[in-house]
Amino acid sequence: MVGTQPQPVTIAFDVMGTDHGPAEVVRGAAMLSLESPHIHTLLVGDRTLIDDALAETKHNGERISVQHAADFIGMDEKPGEALARKPNASVAVAARLVAEGEAQALVSAGNTGAGVLACARHFQLIPGVRRAALATVYPTRSVRGAKGDPFSLILDVGATVEATADDLVTFAVMGSAYARIISQNERPKVALLSNGIEPQKGPPRVVEAHARLSEMKDIHFIGNVEGIDIPKGTADVIVTDGFVGNVCLKMLEGVHDTVVELAQYAYKESLRWRAGLAMLSSGIQRIKDITDWNQYGGAPILGFDKIFIKAHGRSKSRAIANAGKVAAKVVSNNLGAAIREGLKT
Amino acid sequence: MSLPDRIDPRPPRRIYRWDLDKTYLQTEFDSLRDLVRTAFQKAHQKVAVPGASALIRELSENGDSRLCIVSGSPKQMRAVLEEKLKLDGVRWDEFVLKDNVGNLLRGRFRALRGQVGYKLPAILESRVHAPVEAEEVLFGDDAEADAFIYSLFADLVAGRVDERVLSQVLEAGGVYPDDAERVREAWKKIPVGDPVRRIFIHLDRLTPPAHFTPYGPRVVPIFNYFQAALVLLADGHLTAPQVLKIAVEMVQTAGHNIITLSNSFQDLLRRGLPLQQAAVALSQALEGPNKLLAAMRPMPDILAAFSKRLAALGTPPPPPPVQAVDYVSLIHHALPRNHKGRSKPQ
Repeated sequence: MVGTQPQPVTIAFDVMGTDHGPAEVVRGAAMLSLESPHIHTLLVGDRTLIDDALAETKHNGERISVQHAADFIGMDEKPGEALARKPNASVAVAARLVAEGEAQALVSAGNTGAGVLACARHFQLIPGVRRAALATVYPTRSVRGAKGDPFSLILDVGATVEATADDLVTFAVMGSAYARIISQNERPKVALLSNGIEPQKGPPRVVEAHARLSEMKDIHFIGNVEGIDIPKGTADVIVTDGFVGNVCLKMLEGVHDTVVELAQYAYKESLRWRAGLAMLSSGIQRIKDITDWNQYGGAPILGFDKIFIKAHGRSKSRAIANAGKVAAKVVSNNLGAAIREGLKT
Repeated sequence: MSLPDRIDPRPPRRIYRWDLDKTYLQTEFDSLRDLVRTAFQKAHQKVAVPGASALIRELSENGDSRLCIVSGSPKQMRAVLEEKLKLDGVRWDEFVLKDNVGNLLRGRFRALRGQVGYKLPAILESRVHAPVEAEEVLFGDDAEADAFIYSLFADLVAGRVDERVLSQVLEAGGVYPDDAERVREAWKKIPVGDPVRRIFIHLDRLTPPAHFTPYGPRVVPIFNYFQAALVLLADGHLTAPQVLKIAVEMVQTAGHNIITLSNSFQDLLRRGLPLQQAAVALSQALEGPNKLLAAMRPMPDILAAFSKRLAALGTPPPPPPVQAVDYVSLIHHALPRNHKGRSKPQ
């Protein structure tokens, strides 16, 4: 008996400009070619570097193709200027290929700004969406959805610095649709980030968005949450503007790094602490596994008619492969249609 | 009384040598369970690698070739394997199987898994009877030592390997003295020539292609038999319509599609194989009237897919350089899998 075969989907990978170099992205795409027969990868970047890495890596050549791109944009370059100087940068070429239908989604672990800008130039905004939102995921204490997903979604974290009430409502619809697909969470809890849980707390745009979201039946809106609720996992989707979201995200990353550094310091400093950490090692490992962002792969830019998954700049091959899987899942579940549907209500 | 006219078959102009398991047949023998299941499979239960039987049939179309099969399967499986080949419409001229029971009874345990002492004498002895001018194309896989053995065979016949290196390889490969003697005897009988044109290695285990770089451009690792067909089109062994027939069979029976085929084409281009002319020939064949091609996608789509893959690369890379193969340093490629880790040079 033949089972239902998933529809083939092609994901374009911007291979260049990441912290670990092109080979790491190629290895991730190679991993994907072995694990997911229905996913084809289109590797965009320096052909020689890609071929050298592929030749050394176990992969399925039937599921990989290459598009040469002579230039790339580095992590430290200013996106606007760099894209103007390098129209054939890998991320721009990859976005163009997605726009032309050669691939259905783009994954990049390179310069975030350049990725967003390349998408803005080549993709169309979904009707009803004024500004795109950059989302990210953060591990929380509680899990959600059929898969027991420990990650909640926060958006926007930097694409739209000054969001209007309209934008915040749109972000809520988009975030809810995305969480439904990726976390297999039928009714994701959506909240606005504010300085208090009361409906009237926060700046006018937040208060107005609160009022409008409360009336939307298709969104499981649970009201406002505070910063403390992010790691708790009170909400599955947390909506805010790009300015606050970015500050929040950087602080969460800083806390995480500080905790890791403290643990390392404790391990080196005292034999007693080391023994204590050793006794906790399996628990610590479990927490590490649960909250390993490598497992998640990447976060989406929401609002465009095409999919862009932004992987972390430090992504290793596993994270890249998972970002590809996330992209394929989003494409297969037609996120664009879900967002359009959500915006009608 | 006059003798009746006798028409001898034409001497073969081309010899195609094939391995069976993992090259022609999708065989699993990585575990004892796999081995038992394989041993008891009926002919109709055995599955050929997509495109393999179509490729063999097309290669035999010209009528001036020989198909020689040397397989590591035990002799006891001859009946079922022959039946499978017949079911697939494959006609062979030689079919050598391994005498594993004989090896077991004689306590030759190294020979049970060793391939050099079995395949090398077998193909050299086969070559003894071939016309000097007959070209050879060999097909193997990455599960055992095919790339090593086939390359060594080619270089022995071409006089590029001397007695000293051969002795080192036979010793390091754990070849029994009588098999080593068979190798030397057959080798001495073969006139020096350079008949081996290509060695295709089917990447059943998806071994990274760079693993085969030391063997030079004669060895072509392939993900599927469409790739072999493309190279053989460029080498003049097949015509473009024959390649398309193979592609159609792969589309119809194995779920291949325009993406996998065009990716396979581009993969070879990126490895420096000169396929530009082959692409032109394919395009011309596609434009001709051929009902068979209706099984694939509309013609413009096929042409567009291949053209895009070609254009995506910019300037095609140069072909890889021809180089002498250092068999002594590669001997670990020739050892059974569980010995390889221990035998790798540090």
